[in-house]
Amino acid sequence: MNSSGNTVNRRRSVINWRRRLMPYLFVAPNMLIFLTFIIWPAIRGFQISFLDSIDGRTFTPVGTGNYRAIFGDPTVAEVAKNTATFVVFYVIISVVLSLAFALIVNEQQFAKGFFRAILFLPVMLSPVVVGLIWNDVLDRKVGPLNSLLQAIGGGSPGWLVEPKLGMIAVIFVGVWVHLGFYSIILLAGLQGIDRSLLEAAAMDGATRPQIIRTIILPLLKPTTLVILILATIHGFQSFDFIYTLTGGGPLGATTLIVQYIYDRAFQTPIQYGLGSAAGVILFMIIFAFTALNFLLGKKREAI
Amino acid sequence: MKIKKLRSKIAIAASLVLTAGLVATGLPSAQAAGLQPTAAQLAAWKGKEITYYFYNDSQAELDTTKAQIADFEKLTGAKVKLDVIPFTSLDTQLQARLAAGNAPDVGRLNNPGLYIKDSLDLEKYLGRKYAAEFLKGSTLQVTHPTTKKLIGVPYDLTVNGPFINVDMFKKAGVPVPTSWNWTELVAAGKKVQKATGSEYAFAIDKSGHRVSTVMSHFGAFMVDKNQRNVLPTSKFRAEKAIKIITDLYKADQAPRDLWIGTGTKYSSPTAIFLAQQTPIFFSGNWQVAALAKDAKFDFAAVPNPKELNAGGWPGGKFLTAFNASKNPDLAAYFLYYLADTAQMEQMDKSAFWLPTRVDLVGQGVKYATRSADMAVFQADAAKTPAAAYGIQSVPTLTGLIYNKLRDLMTEVMAGKITAKQAVQLQTEWIDAQLATLKK
Repeated sequence: MNSSGNTVNRRRSVINWRRRLMPYLFVAPNMLIFLTFIIWPAIRGFQISFLDSIDGRTFTPVGTGNYRAIFGDPTVAEVAKNTATFVVFYVIISVVLSLAFALIVNEQQFAKGFFRAILFLPVMLSPVVVGLIWNDVLDRKVGPLNSLLQAIGGGSPGWLVEPKLGMIAVIFVGVWVHLGFYSIILLAGLQGIDRSLLEAAAMDGATRPQIIRTIILPLLKPTTLVILILATIHGFQSFDFIYTLTGGGPLGATTLIVQYIYDRAFQTPIQYGLGSAAGVILFMIIFAFTALNFLLGKKREAI
Repeated sequence: MKIKKLRSKIAIAASLVLTAGLVATGLPSAQAAGLQPTAAQLAAWKGKEITYYFYNDSQAELDTTKAQIADFEKLTGAKVKLDVIPFTSLDTQLQARLAAGNAPDVGRLNNPGLYIKDSLDLEKYLGRKYAAEFLKGSTLQVTHPTTKKLIGVPYDLTVNGPFINVDMFKKAGVPVPTSWNWTELVAAGKKVQKATGSEYAFAIDKSGHRVSTVMSHFGAFMVDKNQRNVLPTSKFRAEKAIKIITDLYKADQAPRDLWIGTGTKYSSPTAIFLAQQTPIFFSGNWQVAALAKDAKFDFAAVPNPKELNAGGWPGGKFLTAFNASKNPDLAAYFLYYLADTAQMEQMDKSAFWLPTRVDLVGQGVKYATRSADMAVFQADAAKTPAAAYGIQSVPTLTGLIYNKLRDLMTEVMAGKITAKQAVQLQTEWIDAQLATLKK
């Protein structure tokens, strides 16, 4: 091979390397942030879950002591029950309502932008502010909701003082906060469905419910699976708006696992090891549910 | 020319000696006890920055603090960074900062017992006699439990007590009380509620500290000065105190939502009192400034009810310098500056605080306004029973004991347990905590 051929080959090789390297360079800054603020703290958290520390500076190895303490803590069963109740209702209601809203908004012709903005508005609010606002709205004696209920003879339910009503209140507020987000994702999925399929079905005499059931919902399955996974993760991770809405009360009825972690790790008496161990358990639960959702979704797709 | 050179050599030598002394032993107590820092100290501090971890109950406290910091900066040439923290996350944020190696230099704290290991030994910088400048009872909480050294100073004395809405009392034809017991207080609250149509008859801060005052009135205490659980000796009296408060909440005559509906968080019914939804608000003197600013009605501080005892409950805020400070001598001097007679008097007057300095207590602070309210609190401070100070013998547990009491009160209000069970559970819990402490 002559020298000009060698030069061309070398240039090609350099270009190939550049092409291969380029995507990694593009994601590198993001990966660096991800490694620094997510992966490294997660590894440290896992490590601390086997240690005991009351000040974050001195650590004593305790083996699996923190995990045993968590499973031996009588409040954990209550927290687990609260978390499971919240997640199940929150996920089901969120998915069903966001589907319904996405379908309604998709069909809307009048003031389309306005209604979409209204639906999305709660997503833009700080969860802390959301909790504070709903705390005022749901006040038993002076809240506007009960004033309205009283005006129509509905009594004055103790939304924030009765344990069962407290759970209903936090599920409702949780759904209210995230509904717009899920609906917008589903709306994007709906708009990706080929309209000719829907028109053909209509021409063949299919009714609107039939079109939704047999065409839209099956085609929306991948997007719905994303919503299901996101809602499950959000459900397990819910904390901020609940903390300002009920503080985990009444009588611990709305204390979910993240607040349990927060209380152990940051409230006096501080127990960083215990908080980290609870964090690891939460990670494993979310991971298991996400994997299960994903696998079930794949299986259905294959069928 | 020669004389000039000699003078400058002497000055340099003197400042070197002073600086060496400062480095070796910290601020000598004789200097610290003086009002002005030395030239060597000023030279060393110039341009240095310290952080003041601070929270405030009223705007007046913040404004005065900013003015005092400005004066301190002029005096020393140092910079003070003011970190204003909400009261509800005071301990959470500070503990996280200490764990992360980001300790402030000086802090205004509510619960200094949590930071004993992190606090600077003030005796090293301000001398052994410095503690005697403050009320003895108040310094207990900032005295190291084993070394008995001063690790902070009491910055203000707080006295718990009731406020009433005078306009509502007048409208209901109920005389403003000059002395009363708890039965009379409850009866007055209910009468005013009925006459004015207010939402509630009574409201109290969601705080075990405030409930301890009521228990003290009935003669019930939790820990004595020898770190012993004394609740078993006054179980029935404690039960009576808990019941008188929780019955009001159970009957909807006090804001249940605010107490039960806020989980394990602190909450105060200040907004409820300001909205005239309750004629009686049980809190403390630190509310005077905020109420004076925001109340659209005539209000007054009235004496604490008297049963077996009268008076308030020991409390207050403390200044602590942290041993992680890079400029411990400057931090100690800043603390000394804030707590000196002139600065404390200025703060007390503007923010309606009660002094902790012996000299100021002796001479009395003259408040420009609301002096009648402050006189009520000062009188109640003097009536506080000695047994009330017992809980300060376990500074690391004080806050936890109050929180446990608060949580058990919640369960009684919600009807989950009785007042009798609450007292029993509190007793068992204190026993367990004291046993752990002794290990």
